[in-house]
Amino acid sequence: MAALVRLSSVCHRGVSPLLFRSSSLIRPLAVQKKDRDCPYLITAKIHATPSNYAGSGSKAASLHWTGERILSVVLLGLAPVAYYYPVPAVDYTLAAALTLHGHWGLGQVLTDYVHGDFKIKMANAGLFLLSTVTFAGLCYFNYHDVGICKAVALLWSK
Amino acid sequence: MALLLRTVARQGLCLSRSQFGVLYRHAVPMGTTAKEEMNKFWAKNTQLNRPVSPHVSIYKWSIPMMMSISHRGTGVALSSGISAFALAALVLPESYPYYLDLIHSMTFGPQFLAFSKFALAFPVAYHTFNGIRHLAWDLGKGFKIPEVYRSGYIVIALTVLTSIGLAAM
Repeated sequence: MAALVRLSSVCHRGVSPLLFRSSSLIRPLAVQKKDRDCPYLITAKIHATPSNYAGSGSKAASLHWTGERILSVVLLGLAPVAYYYPVPAVDYTLAAALTLHGHWGLGQVLTDYVHGDFKIKMANAGLFLLSTVTFAGLCYFNYHDVGICKAVALLWSK
Repeated sequence: MALLLRTVARQGLCLSRSQFGVLYRHAVPMGTTAKEEMNKFWAKNTQLNRPVSPHVSIYKWSIPMMMSISHRGTGVALSSGISAFALAALVLPESYPYYLDLIHSMTFGPQFLAFSKFALAFPVAYHTFNGIRHLAWDLGKGFKIPEVYRSGYIVIALTVLTSIGLAAM
């Protein structure tokens, strides 16, 4: 979302002032007599949410971001728990947390590198399929085989 | 061109000198979202077949840059590994201990085992420690450049030490 650009913030001061500008939507452009380095001002189109849009914005993206961070912290905490309490409950929790963390992480990678409506849809569908199979496989392993915690322990025992 | 703008603007300034303050009324609100704008940008680029300026091929690589892409790289690698493991669990007929014994009967000595453990532990450790660094950034901490480098070096050191420690277990 572009903010009002004060040209003097670009002139003679390099790029850094731009980078550290606050992201407020509308910046008051106070005209000052002593501003000699760039005596002209320029206004740009701004992105303001019109009043009829108010309330129709979605918090989905923001909540997703927060969810990603919470899941990361949960996964962090699961590691020592898995080491000291290698029980089935932890196995399944680990399967869920790992799969979801990977799913969301790969989702971000796709968002960054895949462009075009159709390609994005296809890539996300493929990812969803992969994550579903991953979770199914891990649960199958937990149920029919030794389980994740035990598997790591066995792998390390030799 | 600049001279022209300056002249015009100075006239404008003179007129609005009494209005020392905010120029809101010159602002035109737009009704598109950032996502829509981004898609339009990409569609236009693709349609016009615009060449991409060299970026990663010419810009000098820095430690933060390398660590950032490594975080993504280890993440993708680990995720792929987990998916491969899950797929194998669904497809392969025998149980895990069976295949583990099979691998052990094929190993080329204790160094190989230690190295394999190190190779497995390293991406996990790196992604975990750098992940914590990311979480600190998400809390708004550690953005100053010296801090970025310092935390980066700490992550690298912890990764190496942890991987060696885990491989020795």
